[in-house]
Amino acid sequence: MSAAVIPVEQIKTITMSIYRYDPTVDKKPYMQDVVVEIPTDKDIMVLDALHLAKQQEPSLSYRRSCREGVCGSDGMNINGKNGLACVTPLSEVLKRDKITLRPMPGLPVVRDLIVDMKQFFDQLEKVKPYLITKSDSPDIERKQTPEDREELDGLYECILCGCCSTSCPSFWWNPDKFLGPAALLQSWRFIADSRDEATEERLDDLEDAFSLYRCHGIMNCVSVCPKGLNPTEAISNIRNKLLTREKA
Amino acid sequence: MIEKDNRPVNLNLLTISLPIIGLSSILHRISGLAVFFSFPLVVWLLSVSLKSEESFLVLSNLYQTSVVIKILTYLILVGFSYHLLAGIKKLISDAFGFGETLESGRLLSWLVFGATFVLAILFLFYLF
Repeated sequence: MSAAVIPVEQIKTITMSIYRYDPTVDKKPYMQDVVVEIPTDKDIMVLDALHLAKQQEPSLSYRRSCREGVCGSDGMNINGKNGLACVTPLSEVLKRDKITLRPMPGLPVVRDLIVDMKQFFDQLEKVKPYLITKSDSPDIERKQTPEDREELDGLYECILCGCCSTSCPSFWWNPDKFLGPAALLQSWRFIADSRDEATEERLDDLEDAFSLYRCHGIMNCVSVCPKGLNPTEAISNIRNKLLTREKA
Repeated sequence: MIEKDNRPVNLNLLTISLPIIGLSSILHRISGLAVFFSFPLVVWLLSVSLKSEESFLVLSNLYQTSVVIKILTYLILVGFSYHLLAGIKKLISDAFGFGETLESGRLLSWLVFGATFVLAILFLFYLF
């Protein structure tokens, strides 16, 4: 059996303008145009197009793993807007058969489309993204009513791709002091959890000028979240909690 | 000693898209800055105008003859109006949680832009 050959009329060429930087060779990053042929009889994802580009430019580097929007590895800036390459249909972002890919803004570039996520995960670590309990463990499990469990919808789904925090101007200017939308969404995820017993301590940790209050409601985070989550609302919930709590 | 980070950062603001809600938020800050710096001038003008009848007439005459001052007054008025409306938008979001979803946030931003535009037209007729 011969390999499938795509008829010529089902192919079109597109130009991918890609941010390139190899620290061992380049002094400065530059944009490189890669022309690739894509099928027209079906829609492919931006990540598929990147694979085609890599066949021509084997040194092209990017992170990817699950290729279905679950692992959160291939967050990047697609035509100016952050998103996951694997779940962004090419047809939605192609403009005159051209697409521009850059690394997520604000974080140091390791190489090409790969950024160093250390600052992002340092901020996540600060909100202690795990259940903290003080009471003795029950025999089987810590139970929750279905209503309490529902409080976590829209919070637990975060895959930590970094699209939101790296689209947030407040995070760009203060990546070490402002926690950023992703970490704050996780903070609210545990404050809102009926089983968590460290709510007061969590709130205390957020009560300074930068950690939480640097959010100015720009809402770029909500615009870009590939999972459709709403960090702005979570931040607002934390603020309300801080305002209404009775201090001991 | 901390080693200097020489790695590049992609932060060319001209290449990063800014949705309408973000635009309204950043204009709120810019107009706030403008209002802040024009405030002393406006207070000074007020104090001069209240000093005596002559000083009031001098200012009033200057205002009638100088296009530059008229334009400046117009810009201060429009900037202040925008800042005021965007501030009310923020208060609405804080107090009622309205404007925290993409749809409601966009709606509020458009309302603020629209209302500022209407005011800007009205001021145009009023001042010129």
